[in-house]
Amino acid sequence: MSPATKKRLSFFLISTIMFLIVGKFIYNSLQGNTVYFFSPTDLSNLSEKPNGLIRVGGLVKINSIQEKQKNASYTFVITDLKYDTYVEYEGLLPNLFQEGKGAVIEGVLKDKKFLLGQKILAKHDENYMPPEVAEALKKSGNWNKNYDQ
Amino acid sequence: MTSNIGLISLIISSILSLFILILFFKHVLFGGPLHSKFFALYNASFFLIAVSFVLLVISFVVSDFSIVAVYENSHTDKPFFYKFAGTWGNHEGSMLLFILIISLYGYLFLIFTKQLNFSLRFTTIFFQTSLQFVFLLFLILTSNPFEKIFPIPNQGLGLNPILQDPLLVLHPPFLYLGYVGFSLVFSLLLGGLVTNQYNQNWAGLAKRWIFLPWTFLTFGIGLGSFWAYYELGWGGYWFWDPVENASLMPWIASTALIHSVLVMDKTKKLFNWTAILTILTFVLSLFGTFLVRSGILNSVHAFANDPERGLYILFIISLITLSALVIYILKSAKQTGDENGFILFSREFSIVVNNYLLIFALTVVTIGTTYPILLSVFTEESISVGPQYYNTILAPFVFIFLILMGIGPYMKWNKNSFAINRNKLTSFVLSSLIVTALVSLILKNQNFIFILGVACSLFLIISVVYEFAYFKHIKLKQFNFARLFSHAGFGFLILAITLHYFFSKEFTTKIQLGETSSYQEFAIKFSNYFSKQGKNYQELIGEYEIQKNGEKVILKPSIRKYSHPQQFTSETSIRGEWLSDMYIAMDYTSDASSGIGIRFYYNYSIRLIWLSYILITIGGLLSFVQRKNEK
Repeated sequence: MSPATKKRLSFFLISTIMFLIVGKFIYNSLQGNTVYFFSPTDLSNLSEKPNGLIRVGGLVKINSIQEKQKNASYTFVITDLKYDTYVEYEGLLPNLFQEGKGAVIEGVLKDKKFLLGQKILAKHDENYMPPEVAEALKKSGNWNKNYDQ
Repeated sequence: MTSNIGLISLIISSILSLFILILFFKHVLFGGPLHSKFFALYNASFFLIAVSFVLLVISFVVSDFSIVAVYENSHTDKPFFYKFAGTWGNHEGSMLLFILIISLYGYLFLIFTKQLNFSLRFTTIFFQTSLQFVFLLFLILTSNPFEKIFPIPNQGLGLNPILQDPLLVLHPPFLYLGYVGFSLVFSLLLGGLVTNQYNQNWAGLAKRWIFLPWTFLTFGIGLGSFWAYYELGWGGYWFWDPVENASLMPWIASTALIHSVLVMDKTKKLFNWTAILTILTFVLSLFGTFLVRSGILNSVHAFANDPERGLYILFIISLITLSALVIYILKSAKQTGDENGFILFSREFSIVVNNYLLIFALTVVTIGTTYPILLSVFTEESISVGPQYYNTILAPFVFIFLILMGIGPYMKWNKNSFAINRNKLTSFVLSSLIVTALVSLILKNQNFIFILGVACSLFLIISVVYEFAYFKHIKLKQFNFARLFSHAGFGFLILAITLHYFFSKEFTTKIQLGETSSYQEFAIKFSNYFSKQGKNYQELIGEYEIQKNGEKVILKPSIRKYSHPQQFTSETSIRGEWLSDMYIAMDYTSDASSGIGIRFYYNYSIRLIWLSYILITIGGLLSFVQRKNEK
């Protein structure tokens, strides 16, 4: 091997190894920080309870929001009009969080029907339906054209 | 009437653009002189787009509801200010602004490059016109801003209240002046390649056209960050939201580009790399537009619309990228510089290493942003990527990056200059470690990441201050203020982010009227509330007394109930304390007497973050001040 070839070969090997290490690093970190989305129907079909943070989305069931005595603590029901998920949430309800409208809740699942909410995602305008929620409603067969604006 | 003239000027402008393209091909394919009115035609097409934009603004201001875009996004109740800025608060208007800015850059290019080689000049304008033409077609065919509605409604649907903020006037135009501005250097690259003038002089010329949009983009992102902080009531400055990432990706790419074009200018190296970065920067800008406009993201920027437009934009991006790559592959081989032989510890060496780090950061952000989208397209799964992903991967590399930023400028071009700087660098390390130790003792925090973050950013800041303070024999005009300011700004930014991350406090509570709630050193008393009638909203204002270490501050957050469309927005109340902020956002309630929920944030050193944005932007502006030792 000529010195030039040797140099190029070692350069190639070093960069491949670096690339693999960095790739593995990104992959691990991505796996550790991925939050999966479920609709209430998805949750009821699960055989095993998912660990860690998840997101659950659907419509906020009418007349389901209840305020607890404790400091700014609420319970409500998220529904895709086929199955329901009960949510307990400590914190303030965002301005756009309203009964009958779409919402996505991030939190930890206590059992298949009960979510301990940590964050409510509702930061779009009043007509806008989160794409995940629209998908969940279509899957449960309860999509209504009126939801599209 | 105005709507007809607006649409007609857009159509004429696109016909003129097509005519310019034909003239160019006629000249290139059949020889003969270029038509004498080539540039005049381009200017005319620019003015027509400007006219149609002004007409759209007027339609918004006078609430002409015969136009769908105005009907859907405006209301007579709205203050004048928001009628005006509402022009770009919707898909159609913002696309028209997008095209206006592509065209504006071409116009400016013609004004400022009268001395330039003729063939490079008209070829660049040819490529700029192609971009303008493609987007004009897209606008007219899929998103006509002047589309009419009949019968004419009496009233409009109103503008999303979250957008009803003074920054709506500034944030979108600056962001667009930024990332759409990279279209010009993209055209200039293709022009340079086609006319075989992609060389060292090209780098000298292109620098300005990279600095200009970069400065606007930096400022635009800063404004967006500031807006999200006080308007959305989320209490932070950056959320790794896909839309924020969409603007960050071209920013990182263009920052790498600024540095590689400098190496190209000074040492005739990195020709291929600079070309690739130029294409990447513009493609990422377009990709950002696609992410935001296609409606696949869940964000305040997505104007709930037709995903078909997203497909068109994706098609346009692929077309532009492919054509650029084909031109690059066909033409680049003929004009490469001296690519080999980087000298260890030379100026260009540190720039190249930093370029690798920037590309790494870009890869991380791109993967985090696109992975959930790709996954939802190819599988049924829907996921999102948490902010910890970005924080944990990027933090260690930012520290290395800061150190290289401190060392690099002391190195000489084309020369290993580690030895001559050894003492200086050692003293920087020592002084930054001493200051860090003091900071760590005073603030009583010994966290390893905290110490590393403070030490590395101080190293950079000290190296910048030293350069400024020590070289007394250099005249003021010889300083590279652009670099000094933007590098110092970045050092302060990371310092501020580290401090903010470790010392900020946040808590949520519900307080009854007249009662006090305590959290660590803060005691918050809900002392009063009253309501007020605004022009197009009703407002409920709360009054809170905050005691901290014996000092008393009164904050008055409020909640607004807008009528058109009906929606609530939180108006945060913020009081500064040196570089930190106390911040309250209030919850909506129908019965305020039974208590109101609030979110209280103590945002440590947040003002230093805004200050750093400003320093970096000033750095960009100063790159336009000619230095004395520069040619």
